[in-house]
Amino acid sequence: MKILSHLKSGALRSVKSWKGILIIWFLIFVMIGILAASAKSGLKSMIGSSMITELLRDTVNADVLTDLKEGLSVLIASVTKGFILLILFTFIANAFFSGGLFNILSKKCSRKSLSCFLSGGASNFWSVLVINLIVSLIFIAVASIIGGILALIVSKSGGGNPEPGAMSKAIRFSIIIVALLLPVLLLVADYARAWLIGNDSKKPFSAIGAGFVMTFKKFVLSYLVMIILIIIQAGFGVLVVSKLMGSKPSTGGGVFLLFLISQILFIIRLFLRTWRYGSVTSLLEETQTTAVSQGQSEPVAEPLSDQV
Amino acid sequence: MKGTVTLILVSIFSLHCVMSQIVNKESLSARETYYKINATLDPEAKTIIGEMEAYWVNKSTDVVPDIQLHLYMNAFKSNKSTFSKGSSLSMVDKKSDFGWIDLKSFEDEKGNNLMNHFSYISPDDNNPDDQTVIRVMPFEPAKPGDTVFIKIKFETKLPKGRARTGFADDFFYVAQWFPKFGVYESAGMRYAVKGGWNCHQFHRNSEFYSNHSVYDVKITVPEEYITGSGGMLISEENKGDGKNKTLIYRAEDICDFAWTAWPGYDVYNDEWRHVKITLLIPHIRKEQVERQFRAVKNALEYLSENVGPFPWPHLTFVDPPTKGAFAGGMEYTTIFTSTSADRMPESLHLPEMVTVHEFGHGYFMGILASNEFEEPWLDEGVNSFWEERIMDHYWGENSGIIDHPLFKMSDKSMSRISYLLSLGRQVTTNREYSWNYPHGTYSMMSYNKAATILYTLMGIIGEDTMNEIFREYYRQWAFRHPSGKDFIAVVNEVVKKVHGDKYGPDMNWFFDQTLYGTGLVDYRVSRYTNSKIRDFKGIISEADSQRFVPSVTKDDSVYKSVVELDRLGEITLPLDVMIHFNNGDTIMETWDGRERFKDFNYSGTSQIDWVKIDPEYKLRMDVNFTNNSKTDKTDMVPVRRYINKFIIFTQYFLNIISL
Repeated sequence: MKILSHLKSGALRSVKSWKGILIIWFLIFVMIGILAASAKSGLKSMIGSSMITELLRDTVNADVLTDLKEGLSVLIASVTKGFILLILFTFIANAFFSGGLFNILSKKCSRKSLSCFLSGGASNFWSVLVINLIVSLIFIAVASIIGGILALIVSKSGGGNPEPGAMSKAIRFSIIIVALLLPVLLLVADYARAWLIGNDSKKPFSAIGAGFVMTFKKFVLSYLVMIILIIIQAGFGVLVVSKLMGSKPSTGGGVFLLFLISQILFIIRLFLRTWRYGSVTSLLEETQTTAVSQGQSEPVAEPLSDQV
Repeated sequence: MKGTVTLILVSIFSLHCVMSQIVNKESLSARETYYKINATLDPEAKTIIGEMEAYWVNKSTDVVPDIQLHLYMNAFKSNKSTFSKGSSLSMVDKKSDFGWIDLKSFEDEKGNNLMNHFSYISPDDNNPDDQTVIRVMPFEPAKPGDTVFIKIKFETKLPKGRARTGFADDFFYVAQWFPKFGVYESAGMRYAVKGGWNCHQFHRNSEFYSNHSVYDVKITVPEEYITGSGGMLISEENKGDGKNKTLIYRAEDICDFAWTAWPGYDVYNDEWRHVKITLLIPHIRKEQVERQFRAVKNALEYLSENVGPFPWPHLTFVDPPTKGAFAGGMEYTTIFTSTSADRMPESLHLPEMVTVHEFGHGYFMGILASNEFEEPWLDEGVNSFWEERIMDHYWGENSGIIDHPLFKMSDKSMSRISYLLSLGRQVTTNREYSWNYPHGTYSMMSYNKAATILYTLMGIIGEDTMNEIFREYYRQWAFRHPSGKDFIAVVNEVVKKVHGDKYGPDMNWFFDQTLYGTGLVDYRVSRYTNSKIRDFKGIISEADSQRFVPSVTKDDSVYKSVVELDRLGEITLPLDVMIHFNNGDTIMETWDGRERFKDFNYSGTSQIDWVKIDPEYKLRMDVNFTNNSKTDKTDMVPVRRYINKFIIFTQYFLNIISL
């Protein structure tokens, strides 16, 4: 039942934070839109007044791509660079977004106002950025180590001649392990950010330490909540992307409708993520309340190495 | 006396071997050569101990003083062989990974020792370190009608897998493994101006030019090994020692004999009409069995209907395991290898494509035994053309090779793309021998450009005529050695028969430009205009005065419409031009494509709203389809749709990678 109450609390908080979510959607859309608009202009100028687009009605046509190769290679190069910059920028912007969201989701921000979102994002930007960076690096390291170890074991098996299919089994196995570890790292990141906001701290390392402690203090409950939310998010994402990417509207109106639907669905996707943040915030607040009522001082976190 | 008796016995034996029919009811070829081989595989030493009795019949009118034999396994003997020099693969360092063939004894029909009567020759490059061809001087020259009998004991050391032969642990693909006769070409055959042996060294990109032969092959392998070969299994017997078994194979009218042995194969059998099909495949790929059989049956059906019957009642094909991937994609007529991976998405038709291609070589090289060394396009290019047709016919006109909701690709597109994207597409012509293609253009020229040329030819003369050309080519040249000029002669004959002089007295103009030229095809719609034809407006001088006539605006204005077309490439081809008017009328024009430009003029009340050159994209050599059409109303919906999807993908991707 506790799981449900935290999920419900997270969902309610998420819905109440709609202003922040719309701002996030708008900013992400503008960033991607700039890149997409330049790509569209490039394609338009390459195609000119040709009717070659008739070959693109069903699917991407390799003959057309080849014929456009000179312009297309320049376009792809510039879009790729833009895409990399976009990833970098989004990673940084996400520090602001998630800081703002955790602030607006916390109980100290009772009005769930826009200023609450913006002030939370601004005041916690650097700390959240460090938390995001460190947890991302931990994830990459863990995934690399697990994948590397399994690949090494398989490649050395059978005297250097592994059984047919052994490597693909190893890859699948490592994906499963990483997938099982992913909720733990997300819990650490979410607890750390929620703790940072809840305690008005500017110490990211202390927050990460608190994130680990909180994660393992109520591990089963936290893990189950996170697993449920990840499954919902992933299922939604896979369903939406597969349906949207597979759709083939053939008229201008159809394309516009697809655009509208896709943006509404993406906003829902942002709500789902915020639901996760809200649920973890709820978990944290309950733990802190319990700790205070039981006369404990601060909830858990021992500062780690901010001074290092 | 002893020699005479031996000679008589050998002649009777020879006659019996060459005349007897086990596989087919009738002999399919002239059978100039015959091989009887007893081979034992030593899996530990990676060797084959062999004894071979073989003969060549001099069916020419020449007195031939010598014989020439391929010893292709010596290509892997050192890093100085012609194969190794022409190969980007660096030779390995361990002795056990090299390959070679040693002749232990060599006798003629009388038992005379020929060990001191042969020498290594390098007819292609004079490489003194290449030992892939020997010239043997028998004690007596072969007179017309004579049979030259040889008996050889040999040991073949297989190399660590490369160039579709060798071993990988306990996996063996045994090809180019025994001494094999070259082809004696008498004057007038293909390009020969005088009689002589055509026996090329082993090169990186070519291995096939042999006579259609009968093979009786006895193979001894350890009991646990599963084997397959280009022959029909006649019998299998265990030695009784609990260790080895012997398999006896018979093959008729094939150009080369290869076999494979590996304990890990699963064996599947199926039938298509009269052909018993055997598939050897690793157990882990059992889910691909149906895909593989479907591919080979489709190819059998399509080629039988459009080219000619597949004459053999047996066919074996192999999907080598991952460790034996070196053996993938190779053709030995009645045994060939496909290529796959342990997991292969259904949407990617790579295994099917390789299976169809390698099976197709049963026709283009196997039945129509052209010289791959000298005219690789006639082997690989023609076969690629048919592979592409089969793939796109059975797996989808736009999805022959990839059929994913997000991306589809036809097989013919893949070929055109390889041709168009090659930096060396204008470097050379298809007259080159396989090892002489410069700047790494062998594959593009032999496979992709040649196939695209044939597609373009089909676009001009039509699919029915193209099929009739190949049926006639089969009728005239099956189980013989056609050359490029022979193929073109068939094209000329059939096109003339079907179309008369529509394309000129012959089609040489086409091949001279495309196959034997370096030019490009590129036609463009430069522009079209619609200008209103106005009534007279101006001053009219009359007897002693001038009168001004103003223009009159009418609803039923007449327009002068002009279509301007350019030829940007060097190659000239006839083409269709489709002109569409805004009242719905469509006019189809033809242009011989010879001039640098062409205008089409029209006048009427409607205006042109689009123009298309080659509206069905049949001239696949055209290097730019984008400039083949023009309109004022380009349909940008597909572009907007892709941009929309780009936005969706990017949004979700960024969302996922954000914590």
